[in-house]
Amino acid sequence: MARKDLLDIASLHREEIEFLLDQSTSFKKLFTHSVKKIPALEGKSVLMLFYEASTRTHSSFEVAAKRLSAEVTNFDVAHSSITKGESVRETIETLQAMRTDYIVVRHSHPGLPGMIARQTTASVINAGDGAHEHPTQALLDAFTIREKFPDPRGIKVLIIGDILHSRVARSTSTLLQKLGVEVAYLGPGSLVPKYVPESIRRFTDYEAAMAWAPDVVYLLRVQLERQDVQFFPSVREYHRVYGITNTRLAEIRDRGLYIMHPGPVNRGVELCDAVMDYERCLITNQVENGISIRMAVLDWLTPGGEFPKQESYVARQRTGSALLIP
Amino acid sequence: MLLLQNARIASENSPVLLESDVLIVEGKIQDIGSKLPIPEGARVIDARGRVLLPGMFDAHVHFRAPGFENKETITTGSEAAINGGITGVVMMPNTRPALDSATTVATVLENAKDRSRIPVYTSGCVTKNREGKELAEIEGMRGLGVKMLTDDGDTTNDPAVLLRAMQYATEFGMFFASHCEVPELAGPRALNEGVMSYRLGIKGSPACAEEIIIDRDIRLARAAGAHVHIQHVSSKLGMETIRWWKSRGDVKVTAEVAPHHLLFTDEHIGDYDTNYKMNPPLRTQADCDALLEGLIAGVFDLIATDHAPHTPFEKAQDFISAPNGITGLDTALVSLHHFFVAPGKFGWDLVVKRYSAEPRRLMSLPVPSIAVGQSADCVLFDTEAETTFTREFMKSKSQNTPFIDQTLKGRVDLVILGTEILLEREEL
Repeated sequence: MARKDLLDIASLHREEIEFLLDQSTSFKKLFTHSVKKIPALEGKSVLMLFYEASTRTHSSFEVAAKRLSAEVTNFDVAHSSITKGESVRETIETLQAMRTDYIVVRHSHPGLPGMIARQTTASVINAGDGAHEHPTQALLDAFTIREKFPDPRGIKVLIIGDILHSRVARSTSTLLQKLGVEVAYLGPGSLVPKYVPESIRRFTDYEAAMAWAPDVVYLLRVQLERQDVQFFPSVREYHRVYGITNTRLAEIRDRGLYIMHPGPVNRGVELCDAVMDYERCLITNQVENGISIRMAVLDWLTPGGEFPKQESYVARQRTGSALLIP
Repeated sequence: MLLLQNARIASENSPVLLESDVLIVEGKIQDIGSKLPIPEGARVIDARGRVLLPGMFDAHVHFRAPGFENKETITTGSEAAINGGITGVVMMPNTRPALDSATTVATVLENAKDRSRIPVYTSGCVTKNREGKELAEIEGMRGLGVKMLTDDGDTTNDPAVLLRAMQYATEFGMFFASHCEVPELAGPRALNEGVMSYRLGIKGSPACAEEIIIDRDIRLARAAGAHVHIQHVSSKLGMETIRWWKSRGDVKVTAEVAPHHLLFTDEHIGDYDTNYKMNPPLRTQADCDALLEGLIAGVFDLIATDHAPHTPFEKAQDFISAPNGITGLDTALVSLHHFFVAPGKFGWDLVVKRYSAEPRRLMSLPVPSIAVGQSADCVLFDTEAETTFTREFMKSKSQNTPFIDQTLKGRVDLVILGTEILLEREEL
């Protein structure tokens, strides 16, 4: 079960997911101790390579690495040669020469962490690559849900918002389905693509989605910076049609539903202020669980060994392929 | 003097291969017949079991010179063509500087004379520097033999500009080749909008972005009385749109399809494999099937590779950063044989018609055939041998192709052009 990298949820096996969630439970118990540090990664180096702004994920990884006694280096993208036009590939060659053990990478280009993983012996952890995947977010979401539903099979999670641009929606929905959770998407037609997997219910109407009877409502952050391309007319209209308004919160409270959000929240857009004080709002739990999950991931991965090869479709088909044998 | 014995002769007019001897004297086919006497001094090649085809002609290649010689030069590009059994090409004008004036076209044609062993023709831009704003100096380019006008790589986005260009250039007997894409819909990423674009988390380009411009440009051509040639069609509805316009018969429209759009789907991209990143993007199996049906039915007049070389460094970047396009000249003929001719999906007659005869007719060039009195312009193809597309085998300066290191059935053994043997495999 040893893995060098954590690049996506799609390739994780259920057993690996269960293992990480169980490990996370153990690590979380440490938080109640007066000494929160263990020597698991003593002498190891973790490099934070964030090409995009991040508060939660970055600090969460940093805290996790330090609690495992690793040495953490922040690669300062703003002051690096990248601003002089150095390509990512050249950066990786530099980092490989530094023999770092772990690279935590965030970038706006989907697939880029995988490209890095193939060029370095370090364990690469994808901390978000464009709209592709955000595996540790998915793991902490699952962990948070499992704390409330120890056997999550059959529960229903409704993910609301900008599915089109959301790596969180992709990773979290994939992982929850692997655990037997039913997933549905709700959002404007312009932000919930027709091409979502058939296993995910697709709603564009709030009432219809609530009639599906979800147990958890997972709100995605509306990326206001994308509003130069109008995916919906205004944030006010978004809040009215898809947001958790005061009226809707009352209904959610009556039904005892949990609310989750990967943060940072836009108050008055995806949710009203009162949601933050709702007793079944799990947003703070998600942040806290992010540390133990990331400790579990860092502890689990095994740096070194061969550079993995890109497994192209053709390579996979090379034996007995319909493509190659007419 | 060369005598090919027992070659199986292919032609565009019949699926039947005629087994015959072919005698070539001083660059001309002097005699064809059974058991021809061996003239004194003639070199004899046993062509038994091999197919003799007219040389192929690719009406859509990017030779990158001037400006991007690190990717390809006229020399390496034309050698790749010869390696693949292709004896004539049309270069696209998206070089740096772009081929938008008599000066730049003359430079390229002059260079091609010295640096290529096959005829290299070039297209010219519709607009200056392919910017879609001001008309390029069209008549000056016509004076140098340019027939095809295109802003390939991009659509001529302003329909008024394109209509005026069509009205102007049609008077000179030129035609327009259209790269069809609504940029506002397509976005910058060469990936079909669909299941794969969702899975990979990349904004996809919907097929309608291509289909809208296919229809628009044919309508503009009809309004101007122009001939429009639709390039590298990738979608089923795009093909159906062309079929419908052709059935009306009131506009001159021709179209091409690239081998990769017949063979691959967006699923081949797998884990962000940039060797499958191209524009128009690979679409679905339904599109592939429809394009093949369109090719067999004659909706597509020609096959063209859109040979688009890029350096290994460029293609080794992540999918978003990597440039669009794959090479095709080294691989096209063998891949057409392996995937279509060998399994019986279509015959050699279609290959000859769509990849040799029609592209030359499009360019108003003489069409070679294996017939007495014709200039020797032919390819001997071994259907039983195999070709492994290693980096060493390929003559293109770049090897960004899905076929890298793959072995396909078929081999180009001999390429003859006039009095020259351009290529002769050791195995011959």
